[in-house]
Amino acid sequence: MKVLATYNIKGGVGKTATAVNLAHVAAAEGNRVLVWDLDPQGAATFYFRVKPKVKGGGKAIVRGSIELGDAIKATDFDNLDLVPADFSYRHLDLWLDDAKKPLARIRRALLQVSHEYDYIFLDCPPSISLTSESVFRAADALLVPTIPTTLSLRTYEQLDRFVEENPDMVRELKILGFFSMVDRHKRLHRRFMTELRTAHPEMLEGTIPNSTDIERMGVHREPIGSYGKGSRAARSYESLWSEIQTRL
Amino acid sequence: MSKVRRYEVTAAGDFASVLAVLTDHVGLQLVSLEEVERSWLDTAAGTLAQTDTTLEFRTPKGEGTASLTWATDGRILVHDSCVAASVPVQVGDLPESAAFARLARLIDGESLVLGPTVNSQIAVLACLDDEDKTTARFVFDRSETLEGIALPMLLEIIPLRGYDSEAAAIEKLVRRSVALSESATPMKALVKNATGTRANSSGLSSEMSAASAWRVVLQQLTKSITDSFSGVLSGNDPEDLHAFRVAVRRIRTLLQDGGDVIDPESRDRFRHEYRWLGDVTTPTRDADVHLLEFPELVASLPQSWRDDLAPFNEVLIRHRNECQASMVTELRSIRRAEFGSAWIEFLSDEDAWTGCGELSDEPVLRVVIRRVEKAHRELVKNGGKITKKSPAISLHELRKEGKRLRYLLECFGPRFDQEALATILRPLRDLQDVLGEFQDTEVQGEALFELAGELATTDDHPALVAIGGVVEQLGVRGSTARNEFSKVFGRFDDRKVQRAMNRLEVTKSSGKKKR
Repeated sequence: MKVLATYNIKGGVGKTATAVNLAHVAAAEGNRVLVWDLDPQGAATFYFRVKPKVKGGGKAIVRGSIELGDAIKATDFDNLDLVPADFSYRHLDLWLDDAKKPLARIRRALLQVSHEYDYIFLDCPPSISLTSESVFRAADALLVPTIPTTLSLRTYEQLDRFVEENPDMVRELKILGFFSMVDRHKRLHRRFMTELRTAHPEMLEGTIPNSTDIERMGVHREPIGSYGKGSRAARSYESLWSEIQTRL
Repeated sequence: MSKVRRYEVTAAGDFASVLAVLTDHVGLQLVSLEEVERSWLDTAAGTLAQTDTTLEFRTPKGEGTASLTWATDGRILVHDSCVAASVPVQVGDLPESAAFARLARLIDGESLVLGPTVNSQIAVLACLDDEDKTTARFVFDRSETLEGIALPMLLEIIPLRGYDSEAAAIEKLVRRSVALSESATPMKALVKNATGTRANSSGLSSEMSAASAWRVVLQQLTKSITDSFSGVLSGNDPEDLHAFRVAVRRIRTLLQDGGDVIDPESRDRFRHEYRWLGDVTTPTRDADVHLLEFPELVASLPQSWRDDLAPFNEVLIRHRNECQASMVTELRSIRRAEFGSAWIEFLSDEDAWTGCGELSDEPVLRVVIRRVEKAHRELVKNGGKITKKSPAISLHELRKEGKRLRYLLECFGPRFDQEALATILRPLRDLQDVLGEFQDTEVQGEALFELAGELATTDDHPALVAIGGVVEQLGVRGSTARNEFSKVFGRFDDRKVQRAMNRLEVTKSSGKKKR
């Protein structure tokens, strides 16, 4: 089992689209995949048409009083399951804070289902908090979608610094940044991509375009690979997934 | 996850006419409609059947490419097009994907053998909720043999994970709307097979590191599980299940007490899996105990009551068979198979046992004795708190603690001073017997009452009265056990036992006891 978290301190950078689409690509290849929606906005839950209702409550999962497996919902796609989020996930930090060994909670819950899945995607809320620290502890890699803008560059470097300063917390966590919502017609995007790649050569080659096909996920309530198979955006997620696998 | 429900469609007509009826009641969407020749594949040893999975090779009538579908109880694990149009025989013929790599690992290099072949029309429909989310799938399967003999049309209702109640509601509607007969036989019968797992059974030595010793004992226990497995599946001898459960319980104890000796992630994972394995066998073991002890319980009743209980014996046998069938399904599941393979792999992986914990390189006796002492202290402390007013659960918990100590002592027994070991084990076993008797009578009493509910519906009042007598007997036995507790616990919480605890470790040079 590999745990991949889509994460960025900044919101609106395509974290959920990344988690949902990469999970779909991975499952279509025959891998057993789970997405755990940790964001109270429940966007991943929405994209899979699952009702934002957590059986037994998210708190019970985090506290270990119910098993993660009991909260799992199958999506409409073979080998692709979801742990939905509801609005109560806004208290996730508080639940963790109240628990013993908070940083180990998410990992512990994931271990209960580790035999069932090859890949688990954690769709994280933006911000840096106890939740994100627990995710860092649980994940094998952070997938960091980054828009090629000044602010994104800043947040990417904040994350990089945090990881460097907290080696105990992150252990062998891999940081896999990639460019998201890229508009190649914008000179500024092209410039920032060049600059950031020079500063961070470890960034993934694959990029996700700024595409209305991706925005239409909210209309179709499906991963792009389902309604837009073969589109440029769908292919970009497939290439990104191939590259990620070589880095794990 | 709910089981797939399989029905024979007895209503006249084809898919379309059945669907016309269903669409009036259920939101349905056609997912696929295929007309294919399909064959089932398995290894000569029936590896796939043993894991409750099926592998189908489908060739479309007309245009299209051949495909391979690996599924478990109707749920698709992987479905992929085949490069070649011919039936895959070797592992190398399978499509290249992560899931087929899992299949390749499962069949472990064996060749695939072609099973029965039929011509089929298969329609898959999604049942949708108000968010247009699939909650269950319907699979209509109309097949005929290559000789043209038509087989009954089957309908499988496959609940999606997490949507059991929605699927149950749909099933109810379908049963009201279409003529169906329940529990139709699956198209492909499962083939029983017995594949053994390999386990090393070398002995323990005092010089061993804790990790090596833990590994050796776990390998021996795994062998016990493997040896009893086919007997457990056949269900002919309750002793097989008993041996299987004891080995599972001992492994659980070793995992529980393997902190800082075993790799922590593997330990967490396998503790979870072995708890599951223990749990799936509990109802059958309980049912075995009912059946084994029932004659003795009945014998203590007046003759007229004994005759009245004859129908209840049939209820017990039926219940036991149901438990056995459910257990066999779980034991043949892909979860059990994959966990079993992962466990064997873990035990045989040298790297997983090297430097895996802070105490893994410590001498085994030092680590075990520390754990034994801790288990002993806890048992004495918690046993001492039990009074006549303590709830039954306290005694049940104490029994678990007693098992932990007993299994630690027995698993590493050959390395201890034998006289000291016997001094501890004698009163400990007596204590466990009393606690076991107390728990068994409680569990049996409750279970018999529940099963008696079946007779209540048949108005078999004499049998019900007689069962009341049996439960009363159990109550008396339970009370006796409870009254004996303080006496047997006193024998265990004794200075002789405490002194023996201090003599468990044998000194290397003289063979005399330390401390």
